[in-house]
Amino acid sequence: MGDKVLTANRLTDGIAVWLDANGTWVTSLQDALVARHAEAVAALEAIGKTSYADNLVVDVAVVDVQETDGVLWPLRLRERIRAQGPTMEYAPGYKPADPAFIAV
Amino acid sequence: MTRIWRETGFVENDPWVIETEEVNAGEGQKPLLSLEELVAKADESNEVGFGVLIKPADDVRKLEPYLYRLELVAVAFPAFNDGRAFSHASLLRERLGYTNELRAVGDVLIDQVPHMLRCGIDSFAVTNETAIKRLTEKRLPEIPHYYQPTARDAEPGKSYSWRRQAKPAA
Amino acid sequence: MYRYDEFDHAFVAERVAQFRDQVERRLSGELAEDAFKPLRLMNGVYLQLHAYMLRIAIPYGTLNSKQMRMLAHVARTYDRGYGHFTTRQNLQFNWPKLSDMPDVLAELATVEMHAIQTSGNCIRNVTADHFAGAAADEVADPRPYAEILRQWSSVHPEFSFLPRKFKIAVTGAERDRAAIQVHDIGLHLKKNDKGEIGFAVYVGGGQGRTPMIAKLIKDFLPEEDLLSYTTAVMRVYNLHGRRDNKYKARIKILVHETGAEELARQVEVEFAALKDTELKLPEADVAAITAYFAPPALPQRAEGWENLARWKKADPAFSRWVHQNVQPHKNPDYGMVTISLKPIGGIPGDASDSQMDAVADIAEDYAFDEIRVSHEQNLILPHVALADLESVYRGLVAIGLAEANAGLITDIIACPGLDYCALANARSIPVAQEISRRFGNPERQAEIGELKIKISGCINACGHHHVGHIGLLGVEKKGAELYQITLGGSGDEHTSIGEIIGRGFEPEKVTDAIEKIVDTYLGLRNDPSEIFLDAYRRVGPQPFKDALYGDSKAEAA
Repeated sequence: MGDKVLTANRLTDGIAVWLDANGTWVTSLQDALVARHAEAVAALEAIGKTSYADNLVVDVAVVDVQETDGVLWPLRLRERIRAQGPTMEYAPGYKPADPAFIAV
Repeated sequence: MTRIWRETGFVENDPWVIETEEVNAGEGQKPLLSLEELVAKADESNEVGFGVLIKPADDVRKLEPYLYRLELVAVAFPAFNDGRAFSHASLLRERLGYTNELRAVGDVLIDQVPHMLRCGIDSFAVTNETAIKRLTEKRLPEIPHYYQPTARDAEPGKSYSWRRQAKPAA
Repeated sequence: MYRYDEFDHAFVAERVAQFRDQVERRLSGELAEDAFKPLRLMNGVYLQLHAYMLRIAIPYGTLNSKQMRMLAHVARTYDRGYGHFTTRQNLQFNWPKLSDMPDVLAELATVEMHAIQTSGNCIRNVTADHFAGAAADEVADPRPYAEILRQWSSVHPEFSFLPRKFKIAVTGAERDRAAIQVHDIGLHLKKNDKGEIGFAVYVGGGQGRTPMIAKLIKDFLPEEDLLSYTTAVMRVYNLHGRRDNKYKARIKILVHETGAEELARQVEVEFAALKDTELKLPEADVAAITAYFAPPALPQRAEGWENLARWKKADPAFSRWVHQNVQPHKNPDYGMVTISLKPIGGIPGDASDSQMDAVADIAEDYAFDEIRVSHEQNLILPHVALADLESVYRGLVAIGLAEANAGLITDIIACPGLDYCALANARSIPVAQEISRRFGNPERQAEIGELKIKISGCINACGHHHVGHIGLLGVEKKGAELYQITLGGSGDEHTSIGEIIGRGFEPEKVTDAIEKIVDTYLGLRNDPSEIFLDAYRRVGPQPFKDALYGDSKAEAA
């Protein structure tokens, strides 16, 4: 079983968030808690259900990641884009996604 | 717990029962028949006072010959987003001219009650807690300006023939 | 354009209050997500990859400067300073907070705008020809009827929980600029032999997973029967449209499975009962609504002719822009201007808040305060005096929206794709940008001529790729993006669905593939006046397959 993190979107503003080791929903994938075995994943899923029921987040999902030199890299392109934002300059003051991170 | 609501308030001692394998109409209760059962029973007797439950895929126009013998027509919303019963209700009132009680059963939520009322539904079997609470408080999330005529009687709206307005509260 | 009366203002205010209550109940937890979702969708609120998305309705693509400035204000105040104009003539904001939305909607209401029914299983924005009321070839302005349908379909209690979304388009010319044949209901406004106004009614068109061309089910529907007939179609659909499978729930499937003739018969039965009811449209009502769409009083500006000739001679870039982006107006002293939202290498359909404000200023100063959004993701100023074209052009140059590419290869339609959309399998925007840069040279574009590229990032086809002369469909294969090419699609009065040409292309190979297609076309066209679409229809796919895949078998991806 590969490494996994828990992700969702915040109810109030819809921003993509990940669950960190403190049980807080944070806006950076790199701060996410990584689950490396089945019990840990089950625990993540349980927290996800609770957060959903507590109306903190919506669209909760478990996402596959690979950890290389401390950098978390989602296996799915979709999740890499979610982690970094749109992949081109889209508005002044907002950085586009890092092409190296996004690449397949 | 399911309660029956009408615009005059919650109704106690409602006799109608949707029969299942576990539940049968008992003393003082009356079964809501399926469309097929209603047609069969009505054809073989002279009874009146029937109740019928219309499912989304039913052809509500089949009720036409039996309307005057119906005390209650229930239209089912198995999921709140299955909107077929809005058309059943509209046809019953506008096309068939049915005038007795027309009840919404199933997934009856507060946000759809105003639509149901406008389609001519006048009683509601409500289980959802928020819906019961809001109906008790008479707080319907209604928009009293209408852009289309519907089964339910309404005041003419301003300027254009298709507009209507909610009738002032009695 | 239509102006709200007291009734309209009251309705929108009540709707905002209703939604505010629903949002509060959602944030407090009293309303669960699955019950809230259809309610928020009916107020145009989606949840996307990065954030919520709010889709604002721009009825039949018509707005004025005050409304455009409000969109700019919303972009600036509640979002990240820009908006995206869509293939259904609406506007999308990509970063609004749910908690802010009632306030956003309240602000929009002050300028007669809303986000009602821009999503959900209900009747959506009724779209129309973006040149309505100005085009030289127009028989009648479709917008009054779009407005009547818009009003009638607003919070219709019987049709708010349809099997699926429902899209209506209206056109008023023989040339169909509203793509009516790929809509659930397409209305072709026309006159009969007696000169009476009515509609040819098409039903069951659509793109997506199973693209289908609409079927003509009524040759001539008299004007007064518009609402009763539409009600009949909606009721048949509401009762019989499939609800067992989301991908088979549109009316096009019902038409396909029932048969157009039988469906038309069912509609006629229902229509017969509705025809002489309160749904009949009184002439006075139609006249009253039509009056809102009376064209502005256009003063004679004959000096424009001479000036224009002079300016064109002095500035080749301006000349190119006039040639490509200005279309003939009913009034010979005027032209219809296309403001391309496809700058070379830019994001198709996007505009910043300052660009929106500038367009508002130009519209107010030179265009009788009227702006349109086309389904090709451009803005239109339908009434501009030839004498003012130079000033308009300078204004557009200043904000980077003067690309002379309307209808050319770099005028690309692209959905937001995987950069934004939770439904997408692949990105659209970077593909569009690369193609745009490769073909950016103005001479080259002019040489190639009219060529409509449309890109969708998933099977839902929001980029309308099925009706692109060249269509690109992004798919996911083994975790990577792949692009399927279709050729020969068109959304005009000779609607055709593009044909898949062969196996797909990796992102880095797409632009070269487009180049091969273009070179093949240039090599086999009769002469420069034979546009790509016509050449393709003449020669078929084989020359293009040969060019792209050589002698090897081309299996569809």
